[in-house]
Amino acid sequence: MKHNWLLFFPLLLLLTFLVLPVTAIFLRVLPQVGVWETLQQPLVTEALRLSFLTSLGSLFLALLCGTPIAYLLARYRFRGAALLDTLIDLPMVLPPTVAGVALLMAFGRRGVLGAWLDLIGVQLSFTTLAVVLAQSFVSIPFYIRAARAGFQSVDQELERVAYTLGHSPLSTFVRVTVPLAFPALLSGAVMAWARALGEFGATIMFAGNFLGRTQTMPLAIYTAMESDLTAALVLSAILIIVSFSVLFCVRMLLHRSPYGAYA
Amino acid sequence: MVPMLEIALHKHLDGFRLDVAFTAQNELVVLFGPSGAGKSLTLQAIAGTMRPDAGRIVIDGQTVYNSGQRLDLPPQMRRVGYVPQHYALFPHLTAAANIGFGLARLPRHEREQRVSEMVTLFGLQGLDHRRPRELSGGQQQRVALARALAVRPRLLLLDEPFAALDGSLREALREELVQVQTRTGITVVMVTHDLTDAFALGQRIVVYEAGRVIQQGTREEVFFHPATRHVAELVGTRNILSAVAEHTEGDILWVQWQGHHIAAPARPVAPGTPVDLCIRPTQVLIVRPDRLGERERVNLLSGTIVREQMHSETYTLQFRVDGSQAAADLEISLPGYVYHRLALEAEKRVTVELRQQALHVMPQKE
Repeated sequence: MKHNWLLFFPLLLLLTFLVLPVTAIFLRVLPQVGVWETLQQPLVTEALRLSFLTSLGSLFLALLCGTPIAYLLARYRFRGAALLDTLIDLPMVLPPTVAGVALLMAFGRRGVLGAWLDLIGVQLSFTTLAVVLAQSFVSIPFYIRAARAGFQSVDQELERVAYTLGHSPLSTFVRVTVPLAFPALLSGAVMAWARALGEFGATIMFAGNFLGRTQTMPLAIYTAMESDLTAALVLSAILIIVSFSVLFCVRMLLHRSPYGAYA
Repeated sequence: MVPMLEIALHKHLDGFRLDVAFTAQNELVVLFGPSGAGKSLTLQAIAGTMRPDAGRIVIDGQTVYNSGQRLDLPPQMRRVGYVPQHYALFPHLTAAANIGFGLARLPRHEREQRVSEMVTLFGLQGLDHRRPRELSGGQQQRVALARALAVRPRLLLLDEPFAALDGSLREALREELVQVQTRTGITVVMVTHDLTDAFALGQRIVVYEAGRVIQQGTREEVFFHPATRHVAELVGTRNILSAVAEHTEGDILWVQWQGHHIAAPARPVAPGTPVDLCIRPTQVLIVRPDRLGERERVNLLSGTIVREQMHSETYTLQFRVDGSQAAADLEISLPGYVYHRLALEAEKRVTVELRQQALHVMPQKE
């Protein structure tokens, strides 16, 4: 019994530590009057819309660019692979504010590439696109890591057999590799999307905090804390509910799908 | 006749060197040898999933690889069926979808028909909606064979097809493979390190060792007339004796072994050179004492039975020649009824005859 207590105590501590703050938000939101009205404020609706669009946009970018890179890293050994690997992981450990500064220095009006873009009349910083870029910058590594592990787990012999059966590398990728790596790809995509949804530091540095243009939910929460606590609480509650349900659904889906059995 | 398959390969890989050449007709060819000898690598080269450093591969008159002409057809265009070790069935697809995987370009109707043909041919009725992990080892193997044959390849490559199966199932599937081969007339190249598989299936046997072909020929040639002591050991020859060639006399080569003069079929060997002599255990005959003088006999050796072992129908005896220092010199195999008629037993003294025509002399190289 003593052993049980030794295990139980840290668990209790952790649960309190995780559950208490989350519950606290709901404890504050639920008794509030005017939650419905708050939900209709532009600050809230615009933030919801922007977060929805930008997080999906950055997810799209992650899938588009991350998938080939992950496959490359999983299948080929080449010079500088370790370097590329480290580089890709870098945004995961960098403080997002550093990422924001870095993006500004590259794509800002006076940035390395931004200055040139400015000449042809394209401005990236402080636009909605900048939000997508900031989110992608910090979230792509999550997808690439998971996807690479997923691709690595697919037996190359299966791909070889598909070739001998007349399937091109692309067809093989679509019909064999992706379906088999699907659980990893899906969970990687969800992690990347969740990270993008919660992005704050890089966004506020690189895209600014403009209502309806760059003010995503985390930014709106930060802004509302100074003026309208109810709005901040409502947005926080929404983020918690959405994040929890998505994570939970994916977990259940992976567990129940036929893929799960050999993932 | 133009061979169905013609191969010459060189490949350097992480300190391993593959350097092989052989040909095959419309038959079942077994690449036999210890693990790591380069057999699977050869299959991959034929399938086109591994590129050799140099060489030439011709399938049915079509050159699919020629380093000299920088010709290297991709696996998609070689029309070769490839069944790797552990079958590599697509785990996310049903048995039927696995079998039809190579038929994507056929119209739906034709594809379904071809799949159902294969399902019938391999006795997989009722299993076509199962996924690979819901199939037994033998069923998985059948699906893999069906998948490879569904595209009507010119050549079928099998990598250790029976390694994952046990005893009786193994035997049944061996039989099935022979039937498929005879029915379709397809050339099969099969890799195995199992002697029984090689013996049971290989019409032609290519013996591999450390990245080289050390002998190729019909099953009888390889098993009964191994080229060297090394091949003899690889193919499990029981009695390999170190002897010295004496002289040739007509179609007889006299050799000396343990002080005995033994007559063997003539081989071009210079007198005085060391040779290896082998004889199958069934060809060492025990001579009945009352018949010793009946006709002129050669290759008679007297000695003692030192050990015996009984199998279901046969006995295996270990025999020591008089004056020998070894624990045993020869293994003798004989049917049970002979054993009983001769009233044999361990420690009994007997005279044996090495059948002259069954002796095989191998020159010692180097």
